[in-house]
Amino acid sequence: MTTAQTVLAAGGAVSTGEAVTFWILAPLALLGAIGMVWARNAVHSALWLVLTMLCLGVFYVLQAGPFIGMVQIIVYTGAIMMLFLFVLMLVGRDSSDSLIETLRGQRVAAVALGLGFAALIGTGLFRALEGTSAVGLDAANANGNVQGIAKLLFTKYVFAFEVTSALLITAAVGAMVLAHVERRKGERLSQVEQMKARFAPGNYPGPKPGPGVFATSSSVATPGRLPDGTLTDGVHSQILPTRELTSSEAAPKGTEK
Amino acid sequence: MTEIGLPPINYGAITPMLILFGASCVGVFVEAFVPKAQRHLVQLVLSLGAITAALVTVVWQADTRTVTAGGAIAIDGPTLFLQGAILVLGVVSILLIGERSLERGGPFVAQAAIVVGSDADRNQTVRQPGATDIYPLSLFALTGMLLFVAANDLLTMFIGLEVLSLPLYLMCALARRRRLLSQEAALKYFMLGAYASAFFLFGLALVYGFTAGTPSGSGDNGGGVDFATIAAAVRNSEVSPALLYAGIALIAVGLLFKAAAAPFHVWTPDVYQGAPTPVTGFMAACTKVAAFGALLRVLHVAFGGASWAYTPVLGAVAALTMLVGAVLAVTQTDIKRLLAYSSVANAGYLLVGALAVNKQGLASTMFYLVAYGFTVLAGFAVVTLVRDADGEATHLSRWAGLGRRSPLFAGVFTFILLAFAGIPVTSGFTSKFAVFGAASGAGHTWLVVVGVLSSMILAFPYLRVVVMMWLSEPGESTPSVLVPGGLTAAALTIGVAATLVLGVAPESLLDLTNRAAEFVP
Repeated sequence: MTTAQTVLAAGGAVSTGEAVTFWILAPLALLGAIGMVWARNAVHSALWLVLTMLCLGVFYVLQAGPFIGMVQIIVYTGAIMMLFLFVLMLVGRDSSDSLIETLRGQRVAAVALGLGFAALIGTGLFRALEGTSAVGLDAANANGNVQGIAKLLFTKYVFAFEVTSALLITAAVGAMVLAHVERRKGERLSQVEQMKARFAPGNYPGPKPGPGVFATSSSVATPGRLPDGTLTDGVHSQILPTRELTSSEAAPKGTEK
Repeated sequence: MTEIGLPPINYGAITPMLILFGASCVGVFVEAFVPKAQRHLVQLVLSLGAITAALVTVVWQADTRTVTAGGAIAIDGPTLFLQGAILVLGVVSILLIGERSLERGGPFVAQAAIVVGSDADRNQTVRQPGATDIYPLSLFALTGMLLFVAANDLLTMFIGLEVLSLPLYLMCALARRRRLLSQEAALKYFMLGAYASAFFLFGLALVYGFTAGTPSGSGDNGGGVDFATIAAAVRNSEVSPALLYAGIALIAVGLLFKAAAAPFHVWTPDVYQGAPTPVTGFMAACTKVAAFGALLRVLHVAFGGASWAYTPVLGAVAALTMLVGAVLAVTQTDIKRLLAYSSVANAGYLLVGALAVNKQGLASTMFYLVAYGFTVLAGFAVVTLVRDADGEATHLSRWAGLGRRSPLFAGVFTFILLAFAGIPVTSGFTSKFAVFGAASGAGHTWLVVVGVLSSMILAFPYLRVVVMMWLSEPGESTPSVLVPGGLTAAALTIGVAATLVLGVAPESLLDLTNRAAEFVP
């Protein structure tokens, strides 16, 4: 790839193609960002974010940063966001957030302040940069875009680059600390041990009888009966107390009448 | 195509960081390979040894003044002084973190992943020894802090900020008792910290735009985020200054968040309360030094030429911080939250010193950081001692009558509170005197007035605790004050002794700060 091809947008005026692409993709990027905040389903949020990131990747390529643009698309959108989606799917995509506002008026205030901040920064930047033309792109890409980045990364910012390894180690240690439950020897049963325990004396290996819901009453708290007629609990949910049935409830319903 | 060569790196100058980084990596290996029974001792010795070694190398090169690693690291007086301060306070924090005699298994949870309130959780709360991952994490945090105060460009500073923050978020989540509060604290700190980092990055981008066309030190295509280039751009850039002002504002948001200045302080009480108390002490002492170290460098070196522009705004922030911290401290009913708001107010006093952009301001702020760090660590050390069967008894009503039950520790805590209040003979007085002197010397009299007023407000909650401890009768629910183990006793002794010595004979440290108070250009 020659330098001329790499540098799509050399310094100076914005070409028509760049302007057209920008005005098509910029609203899409904004839409994606708003959709990400707006969507109630976490998966939808992630997909909206993917849209924004893809648009940004195209912008980077347009603005003579093909390497960073491709990294944005391949690594960020392709790898990290997809990993994120996997995690969402594993955790369960139905686990939606509680939308109860604990602080009254918090959302309105947040939207107002956010819009105010955006307007402040936006107008400030617009006034500051009005009529400014991009400089330095040719010089930065003189030896090729990737080589330019490599030069900065391994000369001026080599220390910062190396120190990010501390971040990665911390992240890995943190994931282990917060998410890994260590099982000690003996806590985890093998299949053979499970079978032995199942048929050991005192345990009932077959399926348990169902609750006596329809046999005697319509309550799910009704205890089931063993084949010899004695009552047994443990057949209905643990959180339900076993209900003491009155004699009229326990009496046969007399369907033969 | 030109060859790319590694820039010359003065390895001697960055040895402290390398030692801590290496030790934290070794600590991770210790977690993997050393049997569980010996891990605690091995990690404790490793951490203390590494920090001491780093401290020795800092002292060793006390006269080094250099910019190295391609201009990314500046080793000069303030860097070395603040690195030394972080390391000394780090040793004291590690002593608190390593204490295991107050509670069976230490103040940290054995396995943070076990669901709170389950049978396994109840079992591990009373039986299992705490996780020792806390040691490599604190070493990583200390590495980040050393880098944070030494960074000579905004990008390196940002990486340093992340390296110091990420382990802190994790450490907050590891409390043995009241685990839901602890996890909430960690999540809150993480979310807001990420938000503040984003502000910092945005500001960095704007400042980079502002330096366009200013020839940079390394001589390529102009522009850059190293402090020398920014300082040159502040003097004579032709780009609209709106970029500079917005950039300063956003970078200040990122740094003031870490320093816990109002209105970016809202995380402080919740996180200080929820985090395990030794970690709270670590955050209050070391993180504050690191945050203000970076803020001083940014304000003095990079944006020193624009001080007339940011002083009114940051002065307002300082005044607000002092008043908010003082007024809200009055209303607190929990000792950890009270100390958190006191830490907010102290961030305000530090900011008063930092805004005096001259040598005296720099020296007095550095003095204040050290003095406050020792006192606050001693304060949290006492908090770890007051316990009942459910762990620390932090509610203020429980502290009533403590003076009758344990006159020694109530006396020590009274001394610490008087130091916070700035009573003479304590380091609180000398340090406040120094920053207020620097501020009035720089012409910020109104800040001094607000500072004195807020100190008077702030004295009230401290004295209320003192009165409660001494003048109430101990009741049924008054907790006991445990006899500290060797580590806590050492930390407490160091903290109280430093508070006293810096109050009675501060000359040598003041001399040291004065000699150190000069940035390399």
